[in-house]
Amino acid sequence: MRSFVPPLSRLLLWPSLMIALAFWMKGGASVGGGFPAGALAGLAVLLQYVVAGRDQTRRYVAVRYAAPLAGVGLLLVVGTAFLPVLAGYAPMSLFPRPDQPELGVGGLHLHTALVFEGGLMLIVFGLVVTVIDRFALRTGTDAEEESGP
Amino acid sequence: MPILLPILLALACAPLAYVAGRWRPGAAAWMGAAGALAAMGALVHEWATQGPTRLVVPWAPSWGLSLEFTRDGLSGLYAAMALGVGALVVLYSRAYMPHHLHEEGRPARDEVRFQGLLLAFMAAMVLLVTVDDLLLLFVALDLTTIISYLLIGFDREDPESRAAALLSLVLTGATSVVFFAGAMALGLHYGTFSLPLVIERAAHDPASTGALVCLAVGALGKSAQVPFHFWLPRAMAAPTPVSSYLHSAAMVAAGVFLLQRLYPLFAPATDVRDGLLAIGFLSMGMGSLMALVEDPFKRVLAYSTIAQYGYALVLVALGSDGAPLYVAVHAPCKAALFLTAGAVTQVTGKKKLSEVGGLRHALPVLAGASAVAAAGLSALPLTAGFFKDEVFFHALAQRGPAFMAAGLVGAGLTLAYTLRLWWGLFGGPRRDVPAAPRLLVAPVVVLAGLILLGGVLPGLLVAPARAAGAAMLGAPSTLELAYHLDARAENLLAVGAWGLGALLFATHRAWASALSRVLTGVSHVGPERAYRLLLLQLDRLSTWLHEKEVRDLRDRVASVLVPTGLLGLTVLGVTPLRDRFKVGTVGWADITLVMALAFASAAALATLRAKGHLRLVLLISCVGFSLAMVFAFAAAPDVALTSVLVETTFTLLFAGLLALLPSERLKRAQEEAQKPRGRDRLAAGVAGASAFLLSWSALSHLQADRVGARTVELAKAAHSPNVVAAVLTDFRGLDTVGEMTVVVAALLGVTSLLGLNLGRKGRR
Repeated sequence: MRSFVPPLSRLLLWPSLMIALAFWMKGGASVGGGFPAGALAGLAVLLQYVVAGRDQTRRYVAVRYAAPLAGVGLLLVVGTAFLPVLAGYAPMSLFPRPDQPELGVGGLHLHTALVFEGGLMLIVFGLVVTVIDRFALRTGTDAEEESGP
Repeated sequence: MPILLPILLALACAPLAYVAGRWRPGAAAWMGAAGALAAMGALVHEWATQGPTRLVVPWAPSWGLSLEFTRDGLSGLYAAMALGVGALVVLYSRAYMPHHLHEEGRPARDEVRFQGLLLAFMAAMVLLVTVDDLLLLFVALDLTTIISYLLIGFDREDPESRAAALLSLVLTGATSVVFFAGAMALGLHYGTFSLPLVIERAAHDPASTGALVCLAVGALGKSAQVPFHFWLPRAMAAPTPVSSYLHSAAMVAAGVFLLQRLYPLFAPATDVRDGLLAIGFLSMGMGSLMALVEDPFKRVLAYSTIAQYGYALVLVALGSDGAPLYVAVHAPCKAALFLTAGAVTQVTGKKKLSEVGGLRHALPVLAGASAVAAAGLSALPLTAGFFKDEVFFHALAQRGPAFMAAGLVGAGLTLAYTLRLWWGLFGGPRRDVPAAPRLLVAPVVVLAGLILLGGVLPGLLVAPARAAGAAMLGAPSTLELAYHLDARAENLLAVGAWGLGALLFATHRAWASALSRVLTGVSHVGPERAYRLLLLQLDRLSTWLHEKEVRDLRDRVASVLVPTGLLGLTVLGVTPLRDRFKVGTVGWADITLVMALAFASAAALATLRAKGHLRLVLLISCVGFSLAMVFAFAAAPDVALTSVLVETTFTLLFAGLLALLPSERLKRAQEEAQKPRGRDRLAAGVAGASAFLLSWSALSHLQADRVGARTVELAKAAHSPNVVAAVLTDFRGLDTVGEMTVVVAALLGVTSLLGLNLGRKGRR
């Protein structure tokens, strides 16, 4: 049992992240969106913490900088919402506007809502991973204290 | 854009002074003064070459918001006053602050901070007088409030100074919120915040009395008029240059300035103006009487400020175009007297009139210059001050003998307390003290020179005074300033006031102690006492609420749930109940839904009897998963997906959190929770009943296609065929932004809380 769970879970990380990205990209058209994408990516990282431990998982850059990523996400969200105000539009004006033609390649629709959803994804991912990381940090020191003198 | 040049120069002063101060602390003052003078030069040059103008910078046109600036008589006069007096005060504090900081035991580099704050205050004041938009006016007003808080509380180790700063912040801040309410009422009523447009529309449709009273309260609080006057004497705990600036050209002038700027709105409202008139006379009398009996000379000057702005208020209420001139002439006189007081305190180390005296031999230049300033304040001829009382008497003479008598008494009292102040400092038996530093005396001499210049050549004052008066009235001003040697009412009143003042000064030893006793008795029932009682009661109320709320976790939860539940029940109670609670039908097609809901209800009921926190968490997540199932059956795969993911994440995080908590404490909490108290059942009943009834009522009124079809249609137009995504990112996008901000705040909380615990553990 122990022998194949760690490699399998490590293998699962990248497909999960790919699915999360897909959720994000197609959120505007069908099932998906930034929020579940962030939660799914966070769960994928949670699995790594459970199986591989904190030190192993923190080798991924995105995990080490999860909290700043959430900050970037907030910037994206607030930027998408309020940058149009500078140009004289109402807040939360998305582009292309309703009467403008859509930009798209195949099933992919390019839209400023995508930036907004990306911000949501980063915020949720940042929250989940940071909380996991803090918990792992606490349990780690607990174990050390108990085993110490 | 040239209209912005003086404003930008004024705004640049504080950062420039800071940079210069990093290089050498002494350079900050010189840099700041140079910047202020440059801004003043730009202002005068533009005024002379281009005349009045306006600038509108569109900002958010779809919301009707723009940044509007004006250069008219009022803004020119007040900006020149703020910049000129500001430059002199900054130079003065170059000499004053090192000594003051040394006495307070603070490092010399704090001087740079002081200069920066003073210059920032000057910039805020310049901004306040040049903006032409109700919202920006409020922003600038609050800027002056905040910076004055920092300035008054500059001696932060001194509790009295901190208390005074807080008092001024609370009073002027609270009244400026009232001002904001008035500004909002006007803006919404007239559909614009642009001041000229508001004034233009108010000409056909006068503003409501409520809005005007709100605006007036803000201005009166700022100008320290009765009943908000008591913060000003307390603010004397500030270093003297601060008092000098706040009282002459800045903070206190801002309130009267607001009334002058908004005068066209007040012009038709005679009852509001009568109220202002009464308050003006009241402040005048009260301030003058207090100034006659106070002993610390800075407090004498503070009460004199209240009285003098009472005069200015009377002038505004009477609709006299001399009001801006009055404030502008008062500024150099009061600034010079404050600077004199500071110099005397620094040289002698004393702060009370009874402890100093006879300084005219040791400080002849200061004595002479401050004599000119005192003469200006009490309106003696050959000083610019003479004309401030001339316009005052002129306005009163048009209203009748009772007003003239009140003005006569007020002017007489002014002369009496000014004489008492000057004589108290410089008169009497000779006393020898070291000479004052030159930089402490020079600004007073410059101000005295200006006062004399205006008095000898009154023609210089006419053009700016008329421009300001015209800007205030919104009509051409016919103000005349000249000496007339005839028996007109103004001259008779002036002579009468001098006689009365001299008489009062000559006899003041006879009645001063009796007056002092009376005023002390009156002050026990004054507004200051009401203010303290109000604060005390508010403090008690909040302590009581806090203690109720934090006793334990269950009380805290109940304190949120019970009021919410009661509110819900009240809403249900006051709305009509007909057809409110319908019982629908259930068909075979709904069987999956019913099963999922039954599962959810069973899980919810099981939480009542569950032992152990982990089991509770699992049961609650069961509720969540069954609801996700409901969404899946109800053809909302999007919501179902999100619920499943969120539920999974939170269950795992909850389990992780439980693993962190010490197990014996968890067990104890569990045991306590198993013996519910009576009021817990009551709270749960109220909250549960309210939630149940509200949901039932809402679900009884679902109309299938009320918004659904429209939303689907709009979602397509917004290029988001997924309706949930369209609602989240577009239709209710701002809500999402708010929620995400909350998530990030929670993230910060988690980071700091868990980090904090770790630190505590490490120390133990």
